[in-house]
Amino acid sequence: GDSWGIFTFLCAALCNLPALPALNCTEELGAGQSIQKTYDLTRYLEHQLRTLAGTYLNYLGPPFNEPDFNPPRLARAERVPSATVDLDLWRGLTDNARLAANYRAYSRLLCYLRALDGQAGTAELRHRLGHFCSSLQGLVLSIAGVMSSLGYPLPAGPSAPPGTPGTPGAPNDFLKKMDDFWLLKELQTWLWRSAKDFNRLKKKVPPAVVTLRLEARGF
Amino acid sequence: PPSVSPAADPAVISPQDPTLLIGSSLVATCTVSPDFHLKAEDLYWTLNGRRLPAASYAALGPTTLSVALARLNGSKQQSGDNLVCHSRDGGILAGSCLYVGLPPEKPVNITCWSKNMKDLTCKWAPGTEGETFLHTNYTLKYKLRWYGRDNTCQEYHTAGPYSCHIPKDLALFTPYEIWVEASNRLGVAVSDVVMLDILDVVTTDPPSDVHVSRVGDLEDQLSVRWSSPPALKDFLFQAKYQIQYRVEDSSEWKVVDDVGNQTSCRLAGLRPGTVYFVQVRCNPFGIYGSKKAGIWSDWSNPTAASTPRSERAAGGCDPKGGEQNTTLRRELKQFFGWVKKHAYGCSNLGIKLYDQWRVWLQKSHKTRNQVGKEP
Repeated sequence: GDSWGIFTFLCAALCNLPALPALNCTEELGAGQSIQKTYDLTRYLEHQLRTLAGTYLNYLGPPFNEPDFNPPRLARAERVPSATVDLDLWRGLTDNARLAANYRAYSRLLCYLRALDGQAGTAELRHRLGHFCSSLQGLVLSIAGVMSSLGYPLPAGPSAPPGTPGTPGAPNDFLKKMDDFWLLKELQTWLWRSAKDFNRLKKKVPPAVVTLRLEARGF
Repeated sequence: PPSVSPAADPAVISPQDPTLLIGSSLVATCTVSPDFHLKAEDLYWTLNGRRLPAASYAALGPTTLSVALARLNGSKQQSGDNLVCHSRDGGILAGSCLYVGLPPEKPVNITCWSKNMKDLTCKWAPGTEGETFLHTNYTLKYKLRWYGRDNTCQEYHTAGPYSCHIPKDLALFTPYEIWVEASNRLGVAVSDVVMLDILDVVTTDPPSDVHVSRVGDLEDQLSVRWSSPPALKDFLFQAKYQIQYRVEDSSEWKVVDDVGNQTSCRLAGLRPGTVYFVQVRCNPFGIYGSKKAGIWSDWSNPTAASTPRSERAAGGCDPKGGEQNTTLRRELKQFFGWVKKHAYGCSNLGIKLYDQWRVWLQKSHKTRNQVGKEP
């Protein structure tokens, strides 16, 4: 056999894929790709956050940028949704609940991140923050896409965005620095957890479905 | 699992987030909340992560510990120095951000330019050649002379960190007064007022349609033609132009200064059989009768052309290299001619495109090797 010929034939077949009779799992095909994209996005954001957090914590100054820094979490800091969860509880989450938790968390985190130090800080820092917020917005939309392709309703938006009158801001600059520190920490933890969430979801909705179909047709 | 402290703040520091002049001294106190059952002797202080010496502490009461800081240096970071009150086991009880610095100095060297009389961009330099250590805000303000209203510029950092762009609603024929205000936590400083007429600081786009071609068979000349920049086409009665050109392998530009108002020029005294890169720029001199020169535009994108090579034997240092070059070009020309005749949709292919490619190659090679210089 001519391996080059087979290869060209395969390419031609793949190019003609839309012409094939509609796969009855097109919905899973769509969701599978979206889940993979969302997973990739969380890894990308995790990587971006490392640089952003480093720069921001240096701006806050020591001890905030020291590796072993572990300040107390004051009750007020619970505004930021926590990624930490009991292992059995996490395992037992339904797909809907798992996705909804991610969606809610990143929507809130995005709000807080946007309110982070609008006027102070270097122009470079503001630029990095802006870029990260855009990427994070992309993640929120990506999760929404997965939920809708699987037929799940989107959770209601955050009840009161921060910065509006009525919601408490930090009463002094030092406490605000602590809030900023915990925001970045929680963001890191969430991205680490989401990678595992989406990895789990990936296994349930594999994109490998398409390949199986081709094999059945004798290529 | 993270430990969550009870609702009340564990301790209170005074002063909270003060602003201080460099060199000043400070006495801060930390008072522990009664819920925490800590005593003054159980506490210690750190500044930016470094423990402060116990010799500077004093117990002002059973639950209050003070620290004396003398001759403070400028803040280590613009977000403020972190003065923290700890319990004996290292836990953080409270913190205060110290803003130590200097008031701003008058911004200086305000320069402005207007693109095609449509907008105004200004830049300036901060007065302090050193640092203020505090975050300093700059505001550019402007008003028409003889009219009352002050206006504030909104779009900052368009041409570097100390710049601002005014996009519209600019008046001609009446001078503007322009100044910059610098402010930080310790004070405000206002620059001197600069007075200018928009028409005196006009710049424009580089000339368009720059063409460089041979002058018949003359081996040492090239003819350059261009069009005046389209935006000011109807106003440029007295524009000045400048041409610069260089040999392909050199980084030294030769400038032709006395081009005047024409839109063509002949370069002479060139080397035969050589590829030259040529650029043109424009100065909207005397626009609307202004007596002053305007501001030179950017250079046009480089255009390439080659001088003819005589068929006589060249007495050069590297005859082999020269021959290879000519042979390649000749072959390419023949190839392009053939392509034009036989291939569809390749009418743009030609020796000129090849020359442009060589310009691009030089440019991208330069940027690859260049160390970036940030303003």
